[in-house]
Amino acid sequence: MRSIDIHAHLTPQCFWRSTENGGDWHGLKREQNARGYELAVIAGACSTLPPRARFTPEQRLADMDSLGVDIHVLSPYSGFYNYHLDVATVVATSQDSNNEIYDMIQSWPERFAGLATLPMQDVKAAIAELERVMVQLGFKGAMIDDKINGVTLDAPEFLPFWKAAEQMGAMILFHQGGNTVIGPRINRYHLPNSIGNLADRAITFATLVMGGVMDACPDLRICLSHGGGYTCQGIGRMERSWHDRPANRGQNTQPPSQYLQRFYYDCIVYTESALRYLIDTVGIDRVVFGTDWPYDMEFDWPVSWILSLDSLTQDEKEAILWKNLERLLNL
Amino acid sequence: MRTIDIHAHLVPQCLWRAFDAGETWHGIRHEPGAGQGFAVMEDKRVELGHPKIRYTPEARLRDMDEQGVDIQVVSIHTPIFSYHLPPEQGRLLARDFNDEVAEMASQWPDRFAGLATLPAQDINTAIDVLDHAVNHLGLKGAELDMVVNGRNWDDPACLPLFKAAESMGAVLFFHPQPRDNLVLARTDKYGISNSIGVTVEDALLVATLIYGGIFDACPDLKVCVAHGGGPACFGMGRLDRGWQVRSEARLHIQKPPSRYQRCLYYDCVTDSEPALRYLLDHVGSDRVVLGSDWPFVQWDDSPVAWVKSLESLSQEEKDRILWQNLEMLLGV
Repeated sequence: MRSIDIHAHLTPQCFWRSTENGGDWHGLKREQNARGYELAVIAGACSTLPPRARFTPEQRLADMDSLGVDIHVLSPYSGFYNYHLDVATVVATSQDSNNEIYDMIQSWPERFAGLATLPMQDVKAAIAELERVMVQLGFKGAMIDDKINGVTLDAPEFLPFWKAAEQMGAMILFHQGGNTVIGPRINRYHLPNSIGNLADRAITFATLVMGGVMDACPDLRICLSHGGGYTCQGIGRMERSWHDRPANRGQNTQPPSQYLQRFYYDCIVYTESALRYLIDTVGIDRVVFGTDWPYDMEFDWPVSWILSLDSLTQDEKEAILWKNLERLLNL
Repeated sequence: MRTIDIHAHLVPQCLWRAFDAGETWHGIRHEPGAGQGFAVMEDKRVELGHPKIRYTPEARLRDMDEQGVDIQVVSIHTPIFSYHLPPEQGRLLARDFNDEVAEMASQWPDRFAGLATLPAQDINTAIDVLDHAVNHLGLKGAELDMVVNGRNWDDPACLPLFKAAESMGAVLFFHPQPRDNLVLARTDKYGISNSIGVTVEDALLVATLIYGGIFDACPDLKVCVAHGGGPACFGMGRLDRGWQVRSEARLHIQKPPSRYQRCLYYDCVTDSEPALRYLLDHVGSDRVVLGSDWPFVQWDDSPVAWVKSLESLSQEEKDRILWQNLEMLLGV
């Protein structure tokens, strides 16, 4: 029995080191708020970093041990996507972060694997960095936002990126950074996260499918975090829209439901019934283990939670906890 | 055995008469084009594409007969809510619409019931109009949009309307706009604002009312949300998690959001049997009611036949959905 977590963030030590004593990391700064919480400051905007974001690799490993998690497939903190900054800065922050992940993998090859962060606002630079981490550093793929400076990933300018990712066998994990579709409407009750993340992920599914990306790249591997959000619940309405309103059809050759099994989905859905629904909708070979470490929206005691679920067979639990990712990422 | 449908849109005949006379209807201008052309208002242009939205009550009744629907609880076609109007103009629009619906219900009391439209841009005027609609015209409540000129429904200014609806026993049916919702800011392609945007709005409304403490403030308030509340129920685990870990999510409620799910009603327009089954298992079969989304959903046969055909539902559940719950809720 193993457990491999595809949704585990890293706020790199190079950021913490460089921002000690008021310093900056490629222009990114750090402050403390009145309650002593650490804040990352990027182009004047602050985001709160949770206490464990500062953990050293050794502290992280101890925490993983306590949770029963064997492998973190590390991805750099989504707050450092930096797609709105100039390309040179983002290439620098991306390479620093990715190199640190590489060092962690070198030191603990049994415990860490890597997903890169990429300068997605410049497709050529993004492809170059993806190639560097895949070919030279042995990464498994990359994590990107649902939109790049407001543009969804079905836009034609991203097709070379998708072709490259497909050709390299990279797993692309979608994870929001910054605002979701909910933020402009309402900022209360954590709704931009608790509804917004799930809405954004469904939009990503729909745009990639109907934008023709999945047809253009039949071997592309995409993982939608947070269980794909509202995708599997909403597939019925997407399907009906496609059937009833031909004007709304995109470049997809099949109805939307036929693409559910082209994606992977992490298991961060919090309830047994929702996880069962996800498995029944997309198939057990498509659901992988993810925890959202170390954020407050991670789910508690994830390994024992999966093991405790009465409605899953032992085979299903093992597929989620490790077998699917072992196979997919060759771990 | 009866069938009562809470989700049935109406573009009133008074609007068509104005258009036919070359006049505007409360600021809405007709622009000829494909189908029935377009309704043009302050900042938008809405396609009036579906032929049935011009149906007279008699033609609508024939269509209901074909669908096996005994009673439609009709409500205004949401793109013409017109909350941008000054309140007194909004009151006039509502009066025209509500009077026409009341007339339909009085002429065919066994076939139509009505939900008012309200000038929700001004809460006091809206309460006044709701009171008239419920207590003088005999309407069953009102239909409302998910947001009114940028104001969300958890705004304390809205509470008097909920209190008034609660005291009147009025049902508030919430329905978003298919072509004017928050998903459009992300993408306007592939009808995603309708296929995903509409249900995201439904879920956001459920969450906003729950987190806003509306059901503690108004325990007897009757709220029904279109499209089964969208993915609110499926995504309730994340709403609960947010409540656990974020103090701002606990500002108005002492219990996790999932504990409030059963305070609302949901129509059955879920577009899939597993999604409907999931909803029933979590909110209870006494909280799910028949909706057709007339005339915009092209049911293979009819919404009634669809519900009847579902193998994962018991006969008792089907009866509750098809008529018993709405009979009790609306007193029809």
